[in-house]
Amino acid sequence: MTITASRPVTEVRAARAARRRWWRGKWPLAALLAVLSVLTVSPFVAMFIVALSPAGRPTVPVRWPDSLTLDNIARVLESSGFVTWTVNSLIYAVISVVIILLTSSMAGYAFAKKRFPGREAMFWTFLATMMVPFQATLIPTFVLVNSLDGVDTFWGLIVPTLANSQAVFLMRQFILGLPDELFDAAKVDGASEWRVYWTIVVPLTRPILATLGVFVFLWHWNDFLWPLVVGQSDATRTLTVGLTTLRTEELQLSVLMSSAAVSVVPCLVVFFLLQRYLVNSIAMTGLK
Amino acid sequence: MRQRLRDPVTGLLFVLPVLVLFLIFRIFPSLGAAGMSLTNWNIGGDWEFIGADNYARLLDDVNFWLSLRVTLVYVAIYVPLTLLVALGTALLLNQVVFMRGLFRGMLFLPYVTSFVLAGIIWRWIYEFDGLINGLLAKADLGPVAFLEQSAVILPALAVVSVWKGFGYSMLILLAGLKSIPSSYLEAATVDGASAWQRFRRITLPLLKPTIFFVVVIETISAFQTFDTVYVMTGGGPARATYTLIFGIYDHGFRSFDFGYAATWGMVLFAIVLIVSLVQRRFLDRGNT
Repeated sequence: MTITASRPVTEVRAARAARRRWWRGKWPLAALLAVLSVLTVSPFVAMFIVALSPAGRPTVPVRWPDSLTLDNIARVLESSGFVTWTVNSLIYAVISVVIILLTSSMAGYAFAKKRFPGREAMFWTFLATMMVPFQATLIPTFVLVNSLDGVDTFWGLIVPTLANSQAVFLMRQFILGLPDELFDAAKVDGASEWRVYWTIVVPLTRPILATLGVFVFLWHWNDFLWPLVVGQSDATRTLTVGLTTLRTEELQLSVLMSSAAVSVVPCLVVFFLLQRYLVNSIAMTGLK
Repeated sequence: MRQRLRDPVTGLLFVLPVLVLFLIFRIFPSLGAAGMSLTNWNIGGDWEFIGADNYARLLDDVNFWLSLRVTLVYVAIYVPLTLLVALGTALLLNQVVFMRGLFRGMLFLPYVTSFVLAGIIWRWIYEFDGLINGLLAKADLGPVAFLEQSAVILPALAVVSVWKGFGYSMLILLAGLKSIPSSYLEAATVDGASAWQRFRRITLPLLKPTIFFVVVIETISAFQTFDTVYVMTGGGPARATYTLIFGIYDHGFRSFDFGYAATWGMVLFAIVLIVSLVQRRFLDRGNT
């Protein structure tokens, strides 16, 4: 925040004093916040403890075990289904991220900076489809994909989820804010449209592309209903769907929790690397 | 150069990939859902136009009314609960300076994971020999059969969804709180207003649009509850968690009664549409 930096020294001192005064009055609030935060994280902590404890029914309440072991995790990683599901989830999420970023930034550029017949009508139609929940069109989408022999294939899993109106909308809003002169200048220099897109639009939209990429990755990695109905065998089953098939078998809790723990690792990595960034982008754009 | 910016062909070409995806996988299935609900389409792909028969069947279907009631009760529990938790934590985060980033991160953490993972962890927490009952036993209380009792199951599911999702609304509300000019609150403090009066008379009215936005998105997401139901209860016990989406899934992918499942989908669409229209009305009123 540049505003704070340019504030006079006396004001900074006053703020510091205010902070000290504040601490005397409000430490119960901080304590309450700390308790709530610990409660929120505790189910994860319990999950990891059980995952890392020797097999068998865990002691309740969950205690730190006398010895930690990676046996459960190893058992999970050895089962072939689990590895296949993880790879499938990665394919589903990564391909979706790449294609959605590419197509939505292209469309966002056109909607923001190009004039062509039907632009407004098209854009409002895109926005209107946001109001139709995916679950309401689940059956016709499935029947369509089924009639094209897409059930239990990767394209059937991925392609129907690529029509993401939120991504198009976000990209358009962001590119609208870029000055027209940039594009005009490139045109005067004789750059082709594709070159303008690649050397001006893509680099300048990098922050929003990164944010959107993270969210698309999380949405697809965590997605459930569509992969459930389309991925019907291990060949295309994703991790979320695979985890629900584990439950039905007689399985030791420690193995189940290990599977769950391994499945959440990519989300946690994304979260710890980009926490501040995610938080700011939600506050600014209302990304869901 | 203005002329070239208007070049209609490049604009259309850049929109084309998104346009094709949308026509095939969003717009066509949306229209298809309406059409399909007027047929008796089934797994074999055979169908006959049966007019409004599915809708008549819906009105006579005990399970439909039960499902609608289950969903409405769930919404009525989930939305106030999540608003309360999100607003409470947002207010605390707005007040507390001490380790704010850490607490915010801990509270937001579950949001980046999946409902499937939340369902798996919380199933164990709620189980008869699970975490909570273990704690209750230590205190010579319980056990409580959370997952087997109709009266307890919907609040139990709502708690899982609140835990998983409140971080998002919390961040939106926090952004809203930060946009309230601190001079208003300082002036009120000088005038001798108590903390409660400042909250009631300044914070709450200025935060109203944000609160309303949060209520709308959380209401819509509550109507779409499926993953946790699938993982934790399978619609039971005795259909106590048979939500609308579970009904769509059940009729579509267990009975393969696609036409009738599409009719259930239309009900979901109607509900989301009504909520969105109410939102638009309120927002328009707020602007004028």
